[in-house]
Order: sequence, then structure tokens, then C-alpha cells
Amino acid sequence: MKRTRRVGELFAGTLGLLITLGISFLIAIVLIFLLSKDPLTTIYYFFVGPFTNKYYFGNMLNAAIPLVFTGLGIAVAFKSSVFNLGGEGQVYSGALVATVIMLALPESSGYLGGPVALAAGLATGAVLAGLSGFFKMKWGTDELISSFLISSAVVFIVNYFITGPLDDPGNSMLATYAIGKQYRFLAIFPPSKLDISAVFAILAGVLIFFLMYYTHWGYEMRMCGLNREFSRYGGINVSTFVVLPMIISGALHGLAGAVAIMGTYHVAVKEFSFGMGWNGIAVALIAKNNPLGVLPAAVFFAYLDAGAKAAMLHSDVTFEIAAIVQSVIFYLITAQAIYSFLRYRKRAPS
Amino acid sequence: MNEHSFTFPLLHNTIGIMTPFLLAATGGLFTELAGMLNIALEGLMLIGAFFSVVFAGLTGSLFVGVLLGIASAMLVAALFGAVSLNLKANVFISGLATNLLASGLTVVLAFQIFGNKGVVRFEIATLPSLSIPALARIPILGDLLIGHNVLVYLSWLIVVLAAVVIYRTPFGLRIRGTGLGAPTITSLGLKPRRYQMAGILISGFTCGLAGAGLTLNLSAFVPNITSGRGWIALVAIYLGNKTPWGIVIASFIFGFAESFSNYAQGATNIPADFILAFPYLLTVLAMIGYSIWRHYRDRA
Repeated sequence: MKRTRRVGELFAGTLGLLITLGISFLIAIVLIFLLSKDPLTTIYYFFVGPFTNKYYFGNMLNAAIPLVFTGLGIAVAFKSSVFNLGGEGQVYSGALVATVIMLALPESSGYLGGPVALAAGLATGAVLAGLSGFFKMKWGTDELISSFLISSAVVFIVNYFITGPLDDPGNSMLATYAIGKQYRFLAIFPPSKLDISAVFAILAGVLIFFLMYYTHWGYEMRMCGLNREFSRYGGINVSTFVVLPMIISGALHGLAGAVAIMGTYHVAVKEFSFGMGWNGIAVALIAKNNPLGVLPAAVFFAYLDAGAKAAMLHSDVTFEIAAIVQSVIFYLITAQAIYSFLRYRKRAPS
Repeated sequence: MNEHSFTFPLLHNTIGIMTPFLLAATGGLFTELAGMLNIALEGLMLIGAFFSVVFAGLTGSLFVGVLLGIASAMLVAALFGAVSLNLKANVFISGLATNLLASGLTVVLAFQIFGNKGVVRFEIATLPSLSIPALARIPILGDLLIGHNVLVYLSWLIVVLAAVVIYRTPFGLRIRGTGLGAPTITSLGLKPRRYQMAGILISGFTCGLAGAGLTLNLSAFVPNITSGRGWIALVAIYLGNKTPWGIVIASFIFGFAESFSNYAQGATNIPADFILAFPYLLTVLAMIGYSIWRHYRDRA
């Protein structure tokens, strides 16, 4: 009995996801027919473009890396029923602090500076998100709003440092000085930008999965996520599990920023990380907050962007159609009505 | 240069700048009171901004532009409401979806119609300014209150109207009742969903108007012209403690911060970015202070 129910849930969940993605693809095709003078070429590049050469394919995977980290960060928080809406600021400030460390360390420190910078980026995100968790634990301040507000303030302060004291006047962009060669991650798929941090992203996915499903902490976080009151009666120190998921979530966001600098950008450009935080939320939701599911979900999200970019380069539509398609996925991904309808249909014959 | 010549334009501009915050927050207040987090204010405002200036350009009439801008924002608000209430999607996620849809759709349409993803200019009249003699006669404040465009005065009327509707009508009572808990409303034989939908549509209306103010003031559309104003409006609802008068004060603070940052570059040593960050920090401190107060009150 129990087993059939579980299979039924899985069936409804998977079918619901497929329906959501199907509708969004359908809307993409309709949009292209409405907007493009040569819809068949556009559709070809939109769907197949990212696979046509090594450069596109590698860049698509590379764009997925920060989304894996931010997606994992959101998944940990959501799984524990804690809301971290400050992803944007945590990524951006993590990137800035990591950059500052790498610019400040003397050349003689060699490769040692890399891990230090990563740790500093991670800590920055952890502290920012942890603050909201702390306020929630201590006084019940809504962490959703407070994390968003802190993040918004931090974005301006990071902007100040990038365009002010750290600005490289030799660079035409609003960007800091470039980090040293010894800190840059190894490119593994030339000519694309894909670098060794892809391996870190996969490791992070496995590690977070292990943490959530095979450790005591993970169990307690998930229990608190399911029912906080019940967990309290069960003897779990629930207030800890407001702060801890926020800290882990922020740490992963900060890491996303540091990794993006060391792998892809090598300089902190003004507003370079915008969207990584928001898109992490979408990635986590597509993955149904499963850490292992975050990996394909991030690639899928990057695929939509890469497809739209390829379609823009080779045809007559603009890149932003990706945003419309993504918004359709956003709209439907949490729509309970679709899933309960499917569950109902599945159960009806018996 | 005397002191007055600096403070006067600063405050006068504040009143213009605060208007979109005030409008969007006032509409958003209805959704918030109905118990729904309205993250979509930003997107709804952007929709209003785009369609009002496009329709004003097409028809040559500002009035028609404003009306159709509002209608477009309400249409997207209806979509947001239908997905959240009828398909039972998470309201926070469908709000993000609305913002994403708005920023994508406006750029795609601008590119399609005008072949341009940058600034699109329109040959239209600017919003008429009003000088209401009765306001000018108010001592000290009088000069600050006159010479704004017609939407500024309309926003004041809307705030007063909102306060009356929320506190003095059965509809307002029911909106607030919905937010306090659906069972109360259902036991009266009313449908909470209907009041939540009404709240969303009202926010679509005011956000459409707020957006129209942004583009019609410039006679141009700039991609993402709202640049976070909808989020600030959401914050203003919280900082204003979910009352219309609180929202007026909160909007004024945000308007002043932005107005001040426009002047600060030349006038002070404080970097503009710090001034822009300040309202957010202020709000988060106010929120923390409020929750500390509530925490100890409930304990006592």
C-alpha cells in the first residue's frame, strides 16, 4: 500500500515536471513563430544550438556552475523551511571579499591564497545569511524580508568598492584589478570557459546530499522543515535549525561568487553576478530541493539561456525570450493544482 | 549660495521621486492585508511603464496611454493572481515569475516593435504640471507642494481613498479579515480568494499608474526602468507598519534618500552608494527593533 502510494507520488511529481517543461517549451515555440521571420532556423538554434560546437557547450556547462552552488544553497534552506532571499547580495559580496583577498596577498604566498580566498568568500555569505537566521532565532524577525533587505544594502556597498577604491582605471569597464594568474582555475574544455570548478560543483552536490540525508544534522534540518512543532516535541533543538540552514545557504552563495571570480571572470565587474541568486531559487525548485537534482536542474537552466543566446547570434530574435520561457516554468513549477490533479487521476481507477 | 537653495530642490524632488513608491506600496498594501506577499510589484510597475508610453506614443494621448498602461498591469496582475490562487502556486515563486516575465516581455516587445533594446524615445507631450493655488497658500510647505505633475496629486488622492476603503468600508474590513485568517471570512459565507484577487488587482492598478509616471515623465522607455522601485515599495509597506500613513512616511524616506543621493555627489563626501543602501539598513533595523519589542511584550 505504502509503496504504491510512494510510486504514485513519484509518478505525479515527474509527470507534473514534464508537463511544466512541456508547456514552457510549447510557449517558446509559439513565441518564436510570432517573433521570428525564420522560425525554423530560430527553433533549431534555440533547442539544438548549445550542442552544435564545443565553445557553446562548454560555456553552457560553465554558466551552470554558480547556479549549482546557489541552487544547493536554496535547496538546503527550503528543505529546512527557512527562506533565504538574500542570495544576490551574498554571491556578490562573497565574490568581492574573495577578490580583495587575492589582490591583497603578496605574490610570494603562491597557491595558498586560493583556498584562503575561497574560504573568505564562503564566510562572507555565511555571515550575511547567518545574521538573518540569528535575528529569526532570537526575536522572530522574518528572515525572508530581513535577508532580502540586508542583501539589497550590501549590493550597493559592494558597488561602491568595485567602482570606487578597487576600480582599475586601466580597464574600460567598471571593474576591479584582475586577480593573479596563480589563482585562476584551470580551463578544462578549451576554447570554452569551462574550468575545473565544474568538479567542485559536482562534489558540492554530492556532499550536500550526503549532509542532508545521511547525517544527524541533515535529518534534524529536514525534520524541522517538515514540522517544526513536532520536531520540538521530538526533542530537536529547533532554534539551532533556523540558524544552521541559513549559514549553510549563505556559505554556498558566497562560494558561488568566489568560484565565479576564480574560474570565469578573474575581475569583479560591477553587477556581474546579478541573477545568480534569483536563478538559484528556480534551480532548487525544478530540482524539488533535492541536492542531486540541483545538478541537472542547473544545467537545464543554463541550457535555456545558452539556447536563447545561440538563437540571438544566428537568427533574428533577442536573448530575453529565455526570460519569458523561464517565467512560465516559474509560474507552473509550484502549482499544486497540477500535481493534485495528476494524483487524483492516478488514483481514480482503483 | 544660501542654505535654502540647496534644501528646497532636494525636498521638492523628493515629492516627485517618492510618488512611484507611494503608489505601488499603497496598492501592495491591499494584497499584504489580504495575507499575500506581493513580490510582483516590481514587474507590474514595469509592465505599466512600458505599455503606457507605447500606447501614448501610438495614440498621441497621454490619458489613453495611462489607461491602457494600467489595464496591461492589471491583466498581468490577474495572471499572477490566477496562478497563485487557482493553480495554487507558491505566491512567492509566482511573484518572481511575474517580475521575470515583465522584464523579458518588455525587452522582447521593444526589440520586436522598435528594433532596439536600449532607450526608446517617443514624441509625446510631457505630463502636465499643476499649480493648485490653495496649496501654495499653506505656510512654509506651500512652495514644496506646488508645481508637480498631475500623477503626484493623484497619488495623494489614492492614498486618502485607500485609507478610507481599508478602515471605513465593509470591503476593507473583509480584506483585513482575509489576512487575519480565512476561516473567519468563510464562516460569513464569503470567499477569501475573491478578496485576495481584489487585492492583487488593486496592486496592478496602482503599479500600472506608478509605472506610467516613470516613462511618461521621460517620454521614453528604458529597459528595467523600474530598477528595484517595486521592491522598495514592498519594503515601504513593512517600514510603514502596514498602514497608509506609515507608507507615506516610508515612501518619503526612500524618496529623500534617492533625491539626496542625486545631490550628494557634488555636495558631500558620502558616496552615493552608501546613501542608497541607507534606507534598506534603516528598514531592517526598524524590523529588528519591532520584533524585539514584540518579543518582550509577549513574554511579559
